Amino acid sequence: MAKYKTAPLKSWQKAKEIRENYYRDYEAAREKGGLRWAGGAWTFDAIPSGLGDDVYPITSEPYGATIAFQKDFSDRCLEAAERAGYARDLCAYMRNYWGSILLDEYGWVEPGEERKPFPKPDFVWQDHICCSHAKWYQVVSDLEGGIPMFCIDVGVGPYEKTTKHGVDYVVGQMQDGIDWLEKTTGRKYDDEKLIQAVYNTCRATSTWAEICMLNQNIPAPLEEKTMYSLYVLGTLHKSSPEVADFYEELKAEVEDRVANGIAAVENEQTRVMTDTQPPWGFLRVFRYMAEKYGCVSVGSLYTFALIGNWIWKDGQFVPRPTPQSLGVKIKDRDQALRVLTEWELSKPEWQHFYHPKYKSEMMIQIAKDWKLDGVMLHYNRGCEGLSLGIAENRLAILDAGFPVMVFEGNMGDEREFDEARTMGRIDSFMESLSVPKLV
Amino acid sequence: MITTGIDVGAKNIKVVIQEDGKLLGKGQATSGLDTASDIKQAMDAALAEAGLTRDKVEKTYATGAGRKEVKEVDDSYTEVGADAAGAVHLFPGTRTVIDIGAEEGRAIKVDENGKVVDFAINERCAAGAGAFTEAMARALEVPLTELGPLSLTSSKAVPMNAQCAVFAESEVVSLIHQKTEKRDIARAVHDAMSSRITSMARRVGVEPSVCLIGGVAKNPGFVDSLQRDLEMEILIPDDPDFVGAFGAALLAAGIAK
Amino acid sequence: MIEMFQEWYDNRHEYAKHWKAKTGGKVLGYFCTYVPEEICYAAGVLPVRILGSHESQDVTEPHIFAMYCPFCRDCLAQGLAGRFDYLDGITIAQSCLHIRQAYTSWDLHIPVEWSYYLPMPHNVQSPRAVPYLVEELKSFKKSMEEWTGKKITDDDLRRGIEIVNRDRQLMKQVYELRKREEPPLSGLESMYMVVSSQTTDKQEHARIVEDSLKELENRTLGRPVGQRLMILGSEDDDHEFVQMVESCGSTFVIDDHCTGTRYFWDQVSLDGGDPLTAIATRYVNRVPCPTKDWPVRTRLPHILDLAREWDASGAVILQQKFCDPHELDIPAIKSALEEQGLITLFLELDVTVPIGQFKTRVEAFLEIMQEEDLF
Repeated sequence: MAKYKTAPLKSWQKAKEIRENYYRDYEAAREKGGLRWAGGAWTFDAIPSGLGDDVYPITSEPYGATIAFQKDFSDRCLEAAERAGYARDLCAYMRNYWGSILLDEYGWVEPGEERKPFPKPDFVWQDHICCSHAKWYQVVSDLEGGIPMFCIDVGVGPYEKTTKHGVDYVVGQMQDGIDWLEKTTGRKYDDEKLIQAVYNTCRATSTWAEICMLNQNIPAPLEEKTMYSLYVLGTLHKSSPEVADFYEELKAEVEDRVANGIAAVENEQTRVMTDTQPPWGFLRVFRYMAEKYGCVSVGSLYTFALIGNWIWKDGQFVPRPTPQSLGVKIKDRDQALRVLTEWELSKPEWQHFYHPKYKSEMMIQIAKDWKLDGVMLHYNRGCEGLSLGIAENRLAILDAGFPVMVFEGNMGDEREFDEARTMGRIDSFMESLSVPKLV
Repeated sequence: MITTGIDVGAKNIKVVIQEDGKLLGKGQATSGLDTASDIKQAMDAALAEAGLTRDKVEKTYATGAGRKEVKEVDDSYTEVGADAAGAVHLFPGTRTVIDIGAEEGRAIKVDENGKVVDFAINERCAAGAGAFTEAMARALEVPLTELGPLSLTSSKAVPMNAQCAVFAESEVVSLIHQKTEKRDIARAVHDAMSSRITSMARRVGVEPSVCLIGGVAKNPGFVDSLQRDLEMEILIPDDPDFVGAFGAALLAAGIAK
Repeated sequence: MIEMFQEWYDNRHEYAKHWKAKTGGKVLGYFCTYVPEEICYAAGVLPVRILGSHESQDVTEPHIFAMYCPFCRDCLAQGLAGRFDYLDGITIAQSCLHIRQAYTSWDLHIPVEWSYYLPMPHNVQSPRAVPYLVEELKSFKKSMEEWTGKKITDDDLRRGIEIVNRDRQLMKQVYELRKREEPPLSGLESMYMVVSSQTTDKQEHARIVEDSLKELENRTLGRPVGQRLMILGSEDDDHEFVQMVESCGSTFVIDDHCTGTRYFWDQVSLDGGDPLTAIATRYVNRVPCPTKDWPVRTRLPHILDLAREWDASGAVILQQKFCDPHELDIPAIKSALEEQGLITLFLELDVTVPIGQFKTRVEAFLEIMQEEDLF
């Protein structure tokens, strides 16, 4: 007899459709006279929105993860990138992405159809905080025979020390970027579209944080494996109205689950969080934890805050209220860019780039408020940006009294993940937490 | 209560029979393709040493990487849990357990009640496991059992530059070509491995007493290097390679928790 | 004279301790060559670069995940071992993530009086970078004033600029001599010269460079020059490696390392303007670290120019293992050098390198170069 009621998530199908349409629209953009552009999941995607409604992005991290999911294709991509001279320890998402350019095969396949050639973007629009973000696209540009690229540096220090000149620096680059977009595409820029896209960005990323808050409940209405397929929409196109609307619908459903005591893991008896991107080809690890130990991963700073936006308020880690909810009315381009800059600079997942202490504080707060029994850190060889400082985070979390387990792997290169050993490690960890085995 | 612990490791299967915390018998077999028959072989040896028949055993627990392959067991524990149980029983003051098997090394931190509070396992690296000394002994053309005593006669520290077992092997060859004395190379091998293990153990924090178990604990050259690195005396039980199996048997008896 | 540089390098800790005892001043450890040393000199503080020791170690694993570069781990190990116990402060200018972890772990675990993270802009090709950096340099200067209890005037800054510029300019003169058919100094000696300038008082260093220039005027290596090589890539003070390559019948005549030309190539131009703006302009426009070299790879034509002007016929491309920014440039650099007719050898540096195995590869590389000479 299960401890709690459980039910599949109704919104899941909708999330799947949004994602399918995204890759489909990007591929088909040119047929309708539209534009395609490439950038990272953290790029200011609201800005190219001012070029028109027929401008479609592809963000390379989720695209790389999509490839990692298709193990055979991923192997071919990774090998192609290595043959071209790109080191094996570089970002695994990019190696998948570059491989798909080199092979000229699109990582998105329509059911029942042949794999299509990779749809070349018209321009690159990227931001830079990790020491290789902008460099990724130099390689993309090299491989595609020279695509124009524009990148915005956001490395102006931690949010708690935000300066006026730091905001000016980012906004200044954005303004140059808009001029560049007009020149590169020959289109006229529409500030009203920008303003709407900024509102959408804030709405989507704040609502996602509110959804994650609901996971403080016992039993947790969501588990991390499902959250991955939901949060990903924000990494695809956080400034689109579809994504912001979807998160509002999803929030209503999750609230409903909480009200009715619907659990994500029917025998929830222990709660953990992870950190960094998971090894995408091995999400069944989460099922193993749930089935064997009733262990639910309620999320991570990664799922909560890679896209979700949060702030500290009265010693609590809470969803950041949107500017529109605080009565801010955006009037012009400059204000839109300032609001967007100020909004994104508080992104929790940007803080550890300056010091691990910021991330440790947030993780410890999550461990307390989401009522965790332990923490499982993925030392991710595939991403130097999110694994940055992870060893210091581990020490700090242990110091705060939470047991920590570490497992090494790679989000996008299955050759660096040992599934059997990881399961063994989970067994040892659960044993040390005195969690009874369910099966 | 008479109980049995079966440790199915990567290379060897170890069986221990105990009663009231006292080891009655132990048996060992090489892990082959037919695990069931290998387990039986080790079990028969243990029963013979204990002078018992199978029906006297009340409970059996399994441990080790291959523990899921053991049929007819009452329960199983991971290597981490079994190692800690065995080591703490043998040396109650143990706070850090270091276990180095053929293909894996691990460090376990236990609290004053013997409960596991943290552990680290070496990642995908042969340079921190028994297989490393075996490969190096081959390169030096010295029997494995002599590698330790040989290195103890060295008084010269030769740095090994290679960070990986594959490179280390060719480095040993080039040291031989440079006419470096075998005993000094043997010490360099142990120093390199000890540095790996120390590095890993520091992740959980090394607190005394430290108990070293696993097959590599029988190599006095490695023990010497490790004591130097950790700057402390290390406790080594008799039959260090049977501690995991012993721990599983103790857990079966409810002597260890 | 020139032997002095190696002596300083080998005894860099003793040097700094002695300097401190002699002057009563503060010593500041820095982690990246984007730190504006001019401001440190203006404050009367001695900046010394934190370098590793090229010995294997077992103390950093709890602090830095092993997928980050060996250099950052080696640097942190020095701090944890107490070898920099004389430092009064530490600082880093924002560059790559790897070395940043050596700084943040140091900040967490090794107490010093003053610790400062300077958000050096990455987008150095943007016109927005200089105005931003000027403001950051103001904050840096202010914090340093609070730390030392001494106001830094514009005159102090000008003096700081002159001190650092002079050493840069003299080292560049030494590099000019390496263009000769018979370079008067080896790549190893040159490496010691530049690295020691990162760990000594530049006024004293410049005096020795000046004296060395006279000595070098009529000096030869006393051995055949062999193949003329360029060496380039990440941080590199692996003297054992450089010595090995030069002992196999070759001479390094030019480099692109942050322990070489990237460190000192560009001067601060002070035309009576605001000194902080002049300093900011220099750091934004200097030969970049690859992490800041985008969207255009400006370093590429620069490297090709160096190879041509110093007449190198081969290039050893080195990278600290796991150094992502360099890894992202190396395929492009390698093919550009090869197009220009150079033969290249790519190797990865670790804390210690297996000299025996590298030697085999270096010898094969030099053999190929010789065969090319025949045709």
